[in-house]
Amino acid sequence: YVTTILEDAKIYSSHAKKSSVDADDVRLAIQCRTDQSFTSPPPRDFLLDIARQKNQTPLPLIKPYSGPRLPPDRYCLTAPNYRLKSLQKKVSSSAGRITVPRLSVGAVSSRPSTPTLGTPSAQTVSVSTKVGTPVSLTGQRFTVQIPSSQAAVKSATPTTPTVQNVLINPSLIGPKNILITTNMVSSQNTSNEANPLKRKHEDDDDYDNL
Amino acid sequence: DRQTLVAVLQFLRRSNLRESEEILRREARLLGDDLGGSVATVASSSPGVAAVAAVPPGKGSPGGAPSLSSPGSRDQVSVVFAGSTVKGRVGGGVVVEDQPDVSAVLSAYNQQGDPTLYEEYYSGLKHFIECSLDCHRAELSQLFYPLFVHMYLELVYNQHESEAKSFFERFHGDQECYYQDDLRVLSSLTKKEHMKGNETMLDFRTSKFVLRISRDSYQLLKRHLQEKQNNQIWNIVQEHLYIDIFDGMPRSKQQIDAMVGSLAGEAKREANKAKVFFGLLKEPEFDVPLDDEDEEGENEEGKPKKKKPKKDSVGSKSKKQDPNAPPQNRIPLPELKDSDKLDKVMNMKEAARRVRLGPECLPSICFYTFLNAYQGLTAVDITDDSSMIVGGFADSTVRVWSVTPKKLRSVKTAADLSLIDKESDDVLERIMDEKTASELKILYGHSGPVYGTSFSPDRNYLLSCSEDGTVRLWSLQTFTCLVGYKGHNYPVWDTQFSPYGYYFVSGGHDRVARLWATDHYQPLRIFAGHLADVTCTRFHPNSNYIATGSADRTIRLWDVLNGNCVRIFTGHKGPIHSLAFSPNGRFLATGATDGRVLLWDIGHGLMVGELKGHTDTIYALRFSRDGEILASGSMDNTVRLWDAVKAFEDLETDDFTTATGHINLPENSQDLLLGTYMTKSTPVVHLHFTRRNLLLAAGAYSSQ
Repeated sequence: YVTTILEDAKIYSSHAKKSSVDADDVRLAIQCRTDQSFTSPPPRDFLLDIARQKNQTPLPLIKPYSGPRLPPDRYCLTAPNYRLKSLQKKVSSSAGRITVPRLSVGAVSSRPSTPTLGTPSAQTVSVSTKVGTPVSLTGQRFTVQIPSSQAAVKSATPTTPTVQNVLINPSLIGPKNILITTNMVSSQNTSNEANPLKRKHEDDDDYDNL
Repeated sequence: DRQTLVAVLQFLRRSNLRESEEILRREARLLGDDLGGSVATVASSSPGVAAVAAVPPGKGSPGGAPSLSSPGSRDQVSVVFAGSTVKGRVGGGVVVEDQPDVSAVLSAYNQQGDPTLYEEYYSGLKHFIECSLDCHRAELSQLFYPLFVHMYLELVYNQHESEAKSFFERFHGDQECYYQDDLRVLSSLTKKEHMKGNETMLDFRTSKFVLRISRDSYQLLKRHLQEKQNNQIWNIVQEHLYIDIFDGMPRSKQQIDAMVGSLAGEAKREANKAKVFFGLLKEPEFDVPLDDEDEEGENEEGKPKKKKPKKDSVGSKSKKQDPNAPPQNRIPLPELKDSDKLDKVMNMKEAARRVRLGPECLPSICFYTFLNAYQGLTAVDITDDSSMIVGGFADSTVRVWSVTPKKLRSVKTAADLSLIDKESDDVLERIMDEKTASELKILYGHSGPVYGTSFSPDRNYLLSCSEDGTVRLWSLQTFTCLVGYKGHNYPVWDTQFSPYGYYFVSGGHDRVARLWATDHYQPLRIFAGHLADVTCTRFHPNSNYIATGSADRTIRLWDVLNGNCVRIFTGHKGPIHSLAFSPNGRFLATGATDGRVLLWDIGHGLMVGELKGHTDTIYALRFSRDGEILASGSMDNTVRLWDAVKAFEDLETDDFTTATGHINLPENSQDLLLGTYMTKSTPVVHLHFTRRNLLLAAGAYSSQ
């Protein structure tokens, strides 16, 4: 305990650019530590205030015949909290193309359908999400965005976003469990390494199809 | 805001910034009458002395009695915050602000004079009270305890540690015996830093201690205090005490003793005046054939009455609305599902075979002892039809047992469910998994001891609340956790489902009780007002009111509709641990660590009975199904049965009693006690009357 306090005090004194640790620093260090470890319940006037606020809203009406009445799924503990890793082997893509099974389930209303590289194959669903483009998904599942950077094509993609950011903003998607998929840099050099990476991520995302 | 302005003014005065103070005063036009009394500032020659006394408006004391503590030898700056402008228990409050000075100003204890003279003041008052007439003495003695505590806290706050200690030593023995616990806690508070962070103490300081004194006694007191030169005590009385005056005879010591004991004195008269709908909701009518079981499912609500010889309609036959019952749609309640109707039918059938209890016909008691409960049994609940028992343990597990020979089954996994025939008649049976059926299911999830458990009335859900601050909802069909309700950040001591399901209440260490609905992740209502932890929460049978018992030794009744506190019951001398509403909704029984069971009339807001007999904390209270017998279980390893019918008959509840608090409790505990049943060193944690009025009790065997 004492060493922790003294270390904190040293940090504070160096922050204040003092040459040596002062009694004030020690006092500050103690206060910060106790605020972390020992909290006390909020004071009464605060409680009365929020109580007044909360109690003004009328009680919500109850919808009849609505099955088990539970909060929205993201506040429940009912979603699976594990992922299954499937044992699919890497499919060696011809000409370095990645064949990506279509992984989106459910209605996906709008997708920017521009293929990133000029050669979408029938199998390849390449939907790229540029950074910042919101993908509106109405379905409860998500889509896996696989940047279709291909090993072979080195030149054709000046505008391919360097970061095929597959980060789908969880808030856009419905309440189900969101998997944040790959955040891959589609540098061509690394596409080979990216390959196994992508595979893995796809595998991870497969479970959601079950 | 007014108060902050005044506080800033005081601060400026204290720092001798006279001109700024004048400017601010002029701008804010504070030389007004809003302060309700004369705010006299004595611009005296001695620097830094300003004595200001503000009489808080709305108090019982007559007109502005400006008491200027004459400077004399006093050099301290007395800073007074303009007392409560809010008529009520929140006296001014502590304004949580960034500027420490202002908050210090607002919450500073008024330095009423020389600390060494405190003992003189107190003993002077003591002498006066002891010499007063007998009839007034009992009432005036109520003053001792709050004055003692406030004076002590003042000394501690202003850092006169040695004076505080000697003051405590000298006078703590004079206080009533039931305050001894508080005094013990107080004796450990010797420095100002100790007071910070102790919310109960802060609340005590800022709220007004309520005393109910008759007008005659009050006149006597006032005359005496105003005569004296050093009326510091008068200042303290004005600032920290709320004297609720009533016209009538002074109360006797016995009457006073019955009602006092809480951390904030008694309840004001207005606190218990609101109308409370204590009647029961009407049961929906539907037909129930008594003999033919197969036709149960065909009966629907509202169907025209069949011509059957024996017909039993569930619900009240009269169309008139009980004037004391709340309107049916006062609060939204879930609709009655088919399964609920079946339940009600079962209930009616069982009720028909119910044993009528009475002093001649006592219930049989079946005790469920938890053996080898090294996990530390902390909470028990039994379903309404007595088919399952749940135990909450200190190792944070929740264990559910089946009491009937029927085992506990959970729903099959998804893979298996796809295989069953969905069209078959007994599909509800087929979805249950036989392979994992067992007598006991253990639910893991909490990260702290489980302090409260509650089954839902439809037996689909189970609630458990624990020290980790969450309330968890478990499904009893899959035996998994569904939701964790986070709101209290501190241990939650008790939780209960509403009698109609869907709503539940929880109360914890943060001094509030919260009303939740299962489909909202945030509470719907917050009931704030207690000065200490909320230890026990119960729904009224009509689900419109919630009773909370707390460690500040009061019970409050809250209205679900708007969150108002409609009743405050004081009288217990220890933290309350058990509450029970009578089945007709009119009465409330409460048990606490002082070993007494107190009976309250909700409509009038009065104490109507006191059952003495237990020697230790009462953790379980339950009325029988028709309200004839009250069973109480306690840590002294006994279950006692009391005659409730007799206790509630012949109540004198007229206006005089409510106004004056002149309750006359008959000393009939012995008459009302119908039986005492000892267990073998097993404290009783839970009591439950089955639908046929068999009493079930539960406890964990403790070998000492």
